[in-house]
Amino acid sequence: MSILRETYYLYIRNLKVWIAQPMAVISPILTAALMFLVMGAPLRGVTQLPGFPSDDYNAYLTGMIIVMTIVFGGGDVAMAALTDILSGYFDKLLLAPINRFSILMGILLVAGTRALSQVVVIVLIATLLGVTFQGGLLGIAVVIVAATAFGIASACLGLIIALKTKSPQVTMSTWLLFMPLAFLTTAFMPKELLSGWFKVAVTINPVEYVLVGLRTIIIQGWQWETILPGLWALLAMMAVMGALTTWLFRRETA
Amino acid sequence: MTDEPIVDVQKLVKVYPGGTRAVSDINFTVARGEFFGFLGPNGAGKTTTMKILATLLRKSSGRAIVAGYDVDRDPMSIRRSIGFAMQEVGLDDLAPGLDFLVLQGVLYGLSRREARSRAAELLELVGLTSVAGRKVGTYSGGMRRRVDLVAALMHNPPLLFLDEPTTGLDPQSRLALWEYLELLNGRGVTIFLTTQMMEEADRLCQRIAIIDEGQIVAEGSPRSLKEEVGGDVIRTTFGSDGREEEGAYSERAEPLVKERDYVTAVSSAGNSLTITVRDGSAAVPDLLRLLNENSIPVANLSMASPTLDDVFLKYTGRTIRAEEATGDETEQAMRPWLGLKRR
Repeated sequence: MSILRETYYLYIRNLKVWIAQPMAVISPILTAALMFLVMGAPLRGVTQLPGFPSDDYNAYLTGMIIVMTIVFGGGDVAMAALTDILSGYFDKLLLAPINRFSILMGILLVAGTRALSQVVVIVLIATLLGVTFQGGLLGIAVVIVAATAFGIASACLGLIIALKTKSPQVTMSTWLLFMPLAFLTTAFMPKELLSGWFKVAVTINPVEYVLVGLRTIIIQGWQWETILPGLWALLAMMAVMGALTTWLFRRETA
Repeated sequence: MTDEPIVDVQKLVKVYPGGTRAVSDINFTVARGEFFGFLGPNGAGKTTTMKILATLLRKSSGRAIVAGYDVDRDPMSIRRSIGFAMQEVGLDDLAPGLDFLVLQGVLYGLSRREARSRAAELLELVGLTSVAGRKVGTYSGGMRRRVDLVAALMHNPPLLFLDEPTTGLDPQSRLALWEYLELLNGRGVTIFLTTQMMEEADRLCQRIAIIDEGQIVAEGSPRSLKEEVGGDVIRTTFGSDGREEEGAYSERAEPLVKERDYVTAVSSAGNSLTITVRDGSAAVPDLLRLLNENSIPVANLSMASPTLDDVFLKYTGRTIRAEEATGDETEQAMRPWLGLKRR
């Protein structure tokens, strides 16, 4: 059987598992909506600070909410995979005369699908809240594609932890790792308004560059000097995470 | 070709990282069409051996040929030729039974249509047609075992591995599963199962290997293994009607019984005799007639066959039930993550 056919069937299966748990579908979107609600309105005043790059705080937040929703989604994808490993279903897949790579692809494609659907909903919510995307329709498309790719990279990180520890407790605690990745950024304040160790941490956090890239497209448009570092950071994360996950997956299933 | 064994294992060794020697230099073969069993307590190496043969685990050394293919060189061909129902039933709880089976079939190269009709046929065979549309997570333990078994049969494999297929089942479900397995074997499927249950090995297997601490300690048909232990044991108690003294009947009966050629040993104690015979079921009617002809009243007679328990006891010096359960390999592997020490 061709690897594409295997991947397709495993993708559909994993997609069904995701949809079969409505809370897993709804709660990230609900969280995203809540973030607009609890942060957007009360913190609106910070746009008055000198040096703040936008006069619409919701627009500023959109990038952060996308990144945060998708980063945390990586842990969910890893948990779903770990559930299969622990239940023994994963062994059933390993017993089948199929390529190991299609098993991994089936997982990662669902990670991409989840991220895609989430970012589309967030963009819709933002639009309803009056956010204008400075990058235009093409900008929206780029944000969606980049967020999807970022979702796959996050899922890889979660999978590495799941495969390495095989522990639901540790995998569920992946957010402990994701937390600093998502928060040690300019999620709430531009870098000019940050100081001390926080600023240093933000500078070395690759997620920050992805966030800035996405946000630039949203609030400023095509300013390549801030978009490109984000693109490189995203590509680098995908390459490193993808390679590590594939290597570990091969080793664990040999 | 058909004379070649379907499983051929030579000097198989598995040492886990950390030094546990789970399988220690074992040799055995399984013939095509045979119903073969591995009998042994927890931690004996049964599951490890089976996982190596099913290509889920790498061996440390030795040689293993399954369905004509080498486990190292051609695992993909082995995967196509075998079905494996594992001890920890790995099901897709969120999928309806039918969908679960159809995907299973598709992954083994069937078209969707073929997979659907095959799944329907197999669900019928194990009496699950009425719940085919229900999510597997809602199935009872017995139903889960059955759907897991048929999942291993979707691609019609000539060789079926079953790791403790009836552990945790109630007697009724167990009996039903045994009947399916006999049916399958009757249709020509070679079955290799592991069990801790003497009764199961005795009922199903044409040949068994007793495995203990990673080594095969005895091998043969259940009957021949039991015969090695000795024949049947008949215990009789005589009536005490007050006309004769205590033990008088035993004294009269003993020499008469001893003369019978099927009797291998007799011992008397008070009002009863313990008689060891070669074939109990043939001996009982004859003994009763003999005692009756000599007016010796029999108050009670019972016969016990040696069981595979006795066989296990003979070869290992322990009974299988007395073994403290140590959990299977999966649990062992999980323990560090649960914050527990390996046992």
